[in-house]
Amino acid sequence: MENWEVLSKTPYKEIREMQDRKLRAFICNQVSIYSPYYSNIMKKQDLDPYKIKGIDDLKYLPFTYKWNIAPNAENPQRHKDFVIRPDEEVSEKYGHYAKMSMSTGKELIEQKIYDYKPVHIHFTTGRTALPTPFVYTKRDVENLRESSCRLLDVFEVCGDDITVNCFPFAPHLAFWTVYFAADTLNSPVFHSGGGKIVGTSKLMDAFEFLRPSVAVFIPGYCYYFLREAVKQKRDFSSIKKIFFGGERVPPGLKEKIKELLKQLGAEDVMVLAVCGLTESKVGWGECPSHEKYHGYHLYPDLEVIEIVDPESGEPLGEGEDGEIVYTSLDWRGTCVVRYRTGDIARGGISYEPCPNCGRTVPRISSVIERKSEFKEFNMTKIKGTLVNLNNFFPLMMGHPDLEEWQVEIRKRNNDPFDLDEIYLYVTKNPDVNEENLTADLKQKIIRETEVSVTNIVYLPLDKLVSQLGMETELKEKRIVDNRPTG
Amino acid sequence: MLDWSKISRMPANNIKKLQDELLCKILQDELMINHPYYSNLFKSEGLDPNAITGRRDLDRIPFTSKQDMLSSEYDPERAKQFILQKPEGLESAPKPKKFALLGRKCTVPDPAEYRMSQLFYTKGNDLDPIPISYTRHDLNNLKETGTRLCDILNLKRDDTILNAFSYAPHISVWQLFHAAMTLGSTALHSGGGRVLGMEKIILAMNNMGAPVLTSHPLFIMATLQTMLRQNTDAPSLERVIIGMDYAPMVVVEDIQDLMLRCKAANNLVQRVYFLSMAKAGFAECSPGFGYHLNPDHVLVEVINPQTGESLGEGESGEIVITNLDCRGTLVLRFRTGDLTTEGLSSEPCPNCGRTVPRLIGDIEHRHDNYDLVNEKRSIAFNGNALRRYMIGRRDVLAWYVEIVSEKGNDTLNLTFKPAGGINEEELAATLQKDIQEEHRLKVTIKKGSYEAITKIMGLESGLSVKQIFDLRQ
Repeated sequence: MENWEVLSKTPYKEIREMQDRKLRAFICNQVSIYSPYYSNIMKKQDLDPYKIKGIDDLKYLPFTYKWNIAPNAENPQRHKDFVIRPDEEVSEKYGHYAKMSMSTGKELIEQKIYDYKPVHIHFTTGRTALPTPFVYTKRDVENLRESSCRLLDVFEVCGDDITVNCFPFAPHLAFWTVYFAADTLNSPVFHSGGGKIVGTSKLMDAFEFLRPSVAVFIPGYCYYFLREAVKQKRDFSSIKKIFFGGERVPPGLKEKIKELLKQLGAEDVMVLAVCGLTESKVGWGECPSHEKYHGYHLYPDLEVIEIVDPESGEPLGEGEDGEIVYTSLDWRGTCVVRYRTGDIARGGISYEPCPNCGRTVPRISSVIERKSEFKEFNMTKIKGTLVNLNNFFPLMMGHPDLEEWQVEIRKRNNDPFDLDEIYLYVTKNPDVNEENLTADLKQKIIRETEVSVTNIVYLPLDKLVSQLGMETELKEKRIVDNRPTG
Repeated sequence: MLDWSKISRMPANNIKKLQDELLCKILQDELMINHPYYSNLFKSEGLDPNAITGRRDLDRIPFTSKQDMLSSEYDPERAKQFILQKPEGLESAPKPKKFALLGRKCTVPDPAEYRMSQLFYTKGNDLDPIPISYTRHDLNNLKETGTRLCDILNLKRDDTILNAFSYAPHISVWQLFHAAMTLGSTALHSGGGRVLGMEKIILAMNNMGAPVLTSHPLFIMATLQTMLRQNTDAPSLERVIIGMDYAPMVVVEDIQDLMLRCKAANNLVQRVYFLSMAKAGFAECSPGFGYHLNPDHVLVEVINPQTGESLGEGESGEIVITNLDCRGTLVLRFRTGDLTTEGLSSEPCPNCGRTVPRLIGDIEHRHDNYDLVNEKRSIAFNGNALRRYMIGRRDVLAWYVEIVSEKGNDTLNLTFKPAGGINEEELAATLQKDIQEEHRLKVTIKKGSYEAITKIMGLESGLSVKQIFDLRQ
């Protein structure tokens, strides 16, 4: 791992050379030998690992998709093929070295155990496939610690900041990133486990007891939590920064959060977002700025990010919209090469120095949408329509008259062969006229998503909060596809 | 903390001497100057910390109870009174002297030692959870006590651990996290039933081939029973580590039996007693040989729960602890509300030979004992005895009991689900007869579904399981 202070100020050309060098070594010395999946693929497709001289040659390697990694009923151990692990033959060789060496044999073995033995596990959330484990070795945990500290560096958080971690506890990257960051920085922190674990009211008590300057949340829960805090007239005046992770953060929501925090006594709060993938094993932070979003700052010594055309898979140029493709660099444990994340970056990647902080590391756009939320609908009898459900998020989250919302996709008469229907459940602000709001929502939804909702249902807040699973689920259920399969 | 290999073999007298020294040190160097609650208490009680020369003078210090630490409307930050503050005027870390003679150690403390690093809470079974502040010093001790735990449990780096303790900002999950990380074992910290759910934990255990499973006892029992019902074997499972809840020997035997029936590779069951205020968990090397303490970290006394008098070795009573080496939240003579059935022993462990003091027998909870009224007579209802009796019955799958008041008489409403193939009517009659005779209370027996009972118990949703509910006004 490189020194972040130096790396983040290194001209991009040199960063690129470093990435080429590291990628070459990683593919030849680790992936092609110790990763069962990739060594098999390379053998089968007759790919010469030495042909990969740098990032430009990545195109010779095939993409990896979620379904290549995710375990299924036939192959529940499939994920293990992505773990970098010296096979028995290699272990035997090291064991042999160790036996021959009287003085350094033990150290050599310890080094290999440090490099390759898994000690920590995260899982994917399993929304589109079975949860997939991603393992970390001790070496990887050090990488995770370092990357988490880099995140705090980008966010300008120091050891004196008091943090409340409201991410739901789970073997997921989000919670553990905050843990390792705070632990490495020795910054005071309360890892609450979220509202599901300690309860919203007790979490508010903890805020008033600790008076944190930083709070870390899933966006939807944060909005709910702060609204409840306003109702209870709590004092959160100590908060200076809020970080979001685990879900997208529409700009409208950031404004709503700031407004709520103002009512709780916290002025001028910076609302920032973390972008993380279980597969990338780290989270990237957005540069703090009140006015503009300058993108997520990457760690070029730990990964290579490509932006490709989601249809053709062709690599795209700087600033072009496309799918994020991730390649591990210098990791052990579970490693993926050219992994299609299914996330679309609007504005792609930028290699220019950040206009806000001056760091020279590549940045991916702050606007990230999920490809899996482009769904095909049969709204009429004539043809299927591809609808970008991502567009509901900025629209609903930023709507000043709404407290909560949920979209349900269902089939008319619950018949798998009938037409699709979209139901929108909302809780409006108390003094808003229902008729006007319905008209406004219908008009805006057609404009943003090009479909019209079948019905808008007004629900009391507590019912919708429970329907969303705000205090019971790891992530709230904003878009629910209840269509029966035929 | 001292070197474990030395302290775990130190003669009992030397351990006692060491504890006297540590007690005097913490009283004189820290508590009187930097502890808001105890410096006030000592002043108001006219106590001279220099007069406390060791364990023999401990009874001059008043007890601290959970109530003393609870926040109220008038004192919402009460728990902060128990957090050790950094010495006045100590703003930055002392610079190491370049030419210190004979490598003399710097005696000025580092202020960072006093800064909170993490906040945990007590379990909050009987009262509201109390925040417990950990500093870097405490987290280092947590790693050390975790390493000791692994040593006592004989856990090795090659053991893959599935940590299924329910997640909470509580010592149990974090002690095991630090233990596994320091040991270098492959570990999945699942968050238990309330995070992953039982089904996924079973799947993870078999997919990982984990030989070690940790959780609270009833969750483990329910998991193994579920596996039996589903005809799922646990071929990789070798040992189960239980804690966080009532775990008498009868539970150990039940789990051992279930492990065998699930075709586990081995059926070793070990118990750990996690104590929030002690900032550590204490393990048994083998069931029945006692929970091995960390005498350089915490001083444990056993007292008569009624009179508060200190008891001798082997006498059952309430566990009282005094922190000897910690920062952050620090307590003296804290009444834990936990009862040891066979008291304290400073004899070397007959199983492993370690010489550290041990808490022998089962750990019971004082809050599970109730003063009830039946026909104008006061009756001491021992909920721990009821739990032991019910857990020991292999014909009962799940149960809970409610204490209700009817026309001035307190009665028990027991809801249960029998195991498969058991005559429900006969069992209900037996339970009613046995409990009525033992506890001299009227008992009403109801049958319930397994799902409904386990939901009320909080088997998958709570930090630990609750089986006795006091519904009296």
